[in-house]
Amino acid sequence: MAQILHEKDSVRLRKVLVQLLARSESDDCLLCDSGGHVLALEGASKHDPFLISALGAGIFGASRELARMLGENEFSAVLHQGEHRSIFLRAVDADTLLVMIFSRSANVGLVKLYSTPAVDDLRQILADIQHGPSVPGPEDSRPFVLSPDAQLFSLRKE
Amino acid sequence: MSFVNFKKKEVQFKLVYYGPGLCGKTTNLQVIHRLINPEARGDLTSIATAGERTLFFDFMPLVANAIEGFQTRFQLYTVPGQVMYNLTRRMVLRGVDGVVFVADSQWSKMSENVESFANLEENLRLQSETLQTLPHVLQYNKRDLPDVAPVHFMEFMLNNGAVRQSSFPAVATTGEGVFEALNMVARLVLHKFMTVHNRKEEGACELALV
Ligand SMILES: Nc1nc2c(ncn2[C@@H]2O[C@H](COP(=O)(O)OP(=O)(O)OP(=O)(O)O)[C@@H](O)[C@H]2O)c(=O)[nH]1
Ligand SMILES: [Mg+2]
Repeated sequence: MAQILHEKDSVRLRKVLVQLLARSESDDCLLCDSGGHVLALEGASKHDPFLISALGAGIFGASRELARMLGENEFSAVLHQGEHRSIFLRAVDADTLLVMIFSRSANVGLVKLYSTPAVDDLRQILADIQHGPSVPGPEDSRPFVLSPDAQLFSLRKE
Repeated sequence: MSFVNFKKKEVQFKLVYYGPGLCGKTTNLQVIHRLINPEARGDLTSIATAGERTLFFDFMPLVANAIEGFQTRFQLYTVPGQVMYNLTRRMVLRGVDGVVFVADSQWSKMSENVESFANLEENLRLQSETLQTLPHVLQYNKRDLPDVAPVHFMEFMLNNGAVRQSSFPAVATTGEGVFEALNMVARLVLHKFMTVHNRKEEGACELALV
């Protein structure tokens, strides 16, 4: 599972999402892991990406269990169709999920079609990140420092 | 598992509230939502039955100013406590960074607490995780009720490992013991993150992925 995403990896992932967004005429594309973390996102949505990824990971986990029950390895994709907006979830690898949100003006067929090469590209990039020697940029190799005023969570002021 | 995005200058952590049915996990998130500085939180989303029992999870994102130069996000989840939803609990636990174990202090709930704690350990084991290394705290909830076990008894039942964990008596409905538990688990998670990552940075060959 990806723990650190360096800037150059982000750029590569993003490129794929930008292209997918344009080709499929979707509103949003989001890449998340099975724990619900957001790896990358593109689109102009007002929806909270963190909620989408939490719910997306949940839906996908549930459908994976259903698949197992039916003796399928897994369902590789899930489509939820609404009147105005739809959402398409597709497995990238065992631990990563592509979420696409699109409106009525987009075509479901195209969304599915273009998601296939995109998923292949994403899978490749994720595999490179996993296995390849990662060269963090100079910015990325500094140690993390706790904020001096590490005020975590406090009550609202009356 | 924490997630660092250098491009967005963002670190994401996942905190899970765990415990037996009706112990007050959802109530913890509700009261945090109500009392926290509103700038620090997103919406609270609950997937529940009509009877308000958690069916899938509750979810609320929090943002803190904890790591210099990075936005630090803590994603809060609760699991459904009812015994039959174990598969869902496993799903919610995936990639967890810290746990608040909420116990119900009533005498009548003691065996459910112990069972739920064992269930947590078992589910963590299935994802090759253990409470020995996973940051966690205990919250002894519902201290306002009449028939509750004394704190030292709850410690004896639930906090009896080699290393004593922080524990907090609480009344989740009023917020007592809620922020204390949240801040402590968040601190433990940050501490572990610093230790693991900064040690790696010093090493000769830094691995981007673990
Ligand atoms: N008296 C008292 N009641 C509490 C306290 N905390 C929670 N409750 C009540 O306990 C009931 C169950 O609380 P929830 O927060 O829904 O419990 P839960 O752990 O989320 O339960 P599941 O979703 O089924 O796992 C609600 O009626 C709460 O109001 C407390 O500190 N004192
Ligand atoms: Mg609940």
